[in-house]
Amino acid sequence: MELVLMILAGGTMLVLAVIAGQSLGWANKVFHVEIDPRIEAINAALPGANCGGCGCVGCMSYAEAVAAGTIAPDKCTVGGTSCAEAIAKIMGVTLKPSWPYRPVVHCRAHYNERLGRADYRGEKSCTAANIMGGVQLCTYGCLGFGDCVAACDFDAIHVVDGLATVDYDKCVGCGACAKVCPRNIITMTPFKSQRIIAVGCSNQDMGKDVKAVCKIGCVGCMACSKASPLFKMTEGKIPRINYDEYDPENMDSALVAVKKCPVKNLIYVGKPSPQDVAEVKDKDLPKIVQVDFKTTIDKTTWQG
Amino acid sequence: MNYIASLLVLAITTALINNMVFHFFVGNCPFIGVSRKVDMAFGMGAAVTFVTTIAAVLSWITTYYIMSPGAPLATWIYRALTHDPSKVSDLSILSYIVYIFLIAWAVQLVEMYIRKFFPALYKAFGVFLPLITTNCVILFVCLEIMKHIGQGASDPWGLDKALVYAFFAGAGFLIAIVIMAGIREELDHCDVPKSLRGPGITLIVAGILSLAFMGLTGVDSNLAKMINRKPPPVEETAQAVTAATTAMK
Repeated sequence: MELVLMILAGGTMLVLAVIAGQSLGWANKVFHVEIDPRIEAINAALPGANCGGCGCVGCMSYAEAVAAGTIAPDKCTVGGTSCAEAIAKIMGVTLKPSWPYRPVVHCRAHYNERLGRADYRGEKSCTAANIMGGVQLCTYGCLGFGDCVAACDFDAIHVVDGLATVDYDKCVGCGACAKVCPRNIITMTPFKSQRIIAVGCSNQDMGKDVKAVCKIGCVGCMACSKASPLFKMTEGKIPRINYDEYDPENMDSALVAVKKCPVKNLIYVGKPSPQDVAEVKDKDLPKIVQVDFKTTIDKTTWQG
Repeated sequence: MNYIASLLVLAITTALINNMVFHFFVGNCPFIGVSRKVDMAFGMGAAVTFVTTIAAVLSWITTYYIMSPGAPLATWIYRALTHDPSKVSDLSILSYIVYIFLIAWAVQLVEMYIRKFFPALYKAFGVFLPLITTNCVILFVCLEIMKHIGQGASDPWGLDKALVYAFFAGAGFLIAIVIMAGIREELDHCDVPKSLRGPGITLIVAGILSLAFMGLTGVDSNLAKMINRKPPPVEETAQAVTAATTAMK
């Protein structure tokens, strides 16, 4: 008797499924709307994650926008290069070469280079410390509380001796660290080669003021901008690199600028080149010491 | 109580007093999510009303004929299969899965239909129409209707009452979400404390609105009393008058 009831229940579902499937199939034919076949092709080429990373509501609306020509075909971050190529093929356009964007931390001061580091006992987050003020004298540099570390889903950024350091082997360029940094010292930069030259400071003050807060900050001497057209001084007395004109094959003037910098502020970031690895192979490198927040750091007690 | 009056009381009760959002706390997701602008909120409310009505009709039919205890069609098949005329089938265990199935089906069909014949409306609804599939107002209405069908239901409903209930449940949701959107549009100009901005202050406002709607409690029973009030019988009145006059003397 129970079996009959079970069959009845199953039969109900089956009948409903058949009716619904048939009617939906019929409706799909009867209510068919002619749309641009390219939209459907693009939608098929997209990953269908509906993540909104491209700036559209979903994959379908992105496909419509691409077909309408209002958005570039390489905006899908999930699909990546292969997806962009497929869409470009459907649209009959060629893609501009795009470089991988990776974060660059525009600060290179570790604890011993920063001056006036205060005893901060508040919440251990850069955002909170930034609101407080006075945690360290430099109001531009890295605070080292690791908001970027918490934001990173890929374990690709770490605070090493008080400075956020990107692990370019693991980094995928999602930009979460750049968004979360309260001092905006992390920028997403096109890596035209494995290693690029970057400016390792964000301090926009004049030389004397910088020297008062940091041992290695940029003093704004403009030596780099005089040596190479690649470097442009901003109003804030800090050089910016024009990465549009950055050419890894033709770096002569830039290398001169790197040599001329009095505080060695122009640094290489990215994966080390094979030569560099070969150079330091035999050397006994100091181990990176994990910061213990309970111990004394730069002569002030630190209790996070 | 006459027929029209009972429907009227049901409608007012459903839309205002036992409001879906403010009394039962269902449909909070679109209530918070789509109440940023009044026109979008109105579109969402209208779509919910539309789909709720359709889903309620479908679920009433399936429940009445197949799923409720002692439903005619299912019982007939059950008796035919078991050769036992005293058997009564009860497939109400299927209610959840069948309702979800029917709602999804109805939404799909409505989406296709609107896309073909009302492209402007389709554009206006946009992403909300598929989202309605998971709107709990609709499932709640279907389950509420199920309570009033079949043997053992204290207040059995016909299709008419189910239809009125579903339509005014959707209308109640529409009223709630449009009021909310109006408040939130004004809220944009207010100096809300930073920690409360966004969903925080929205939930607080929703709570206050919910309290305000509590003030309508009792309107339904008084309305029913008012409609039901019969003129007192003539003899009784006459007796009362004579009694009063003798007492005065």
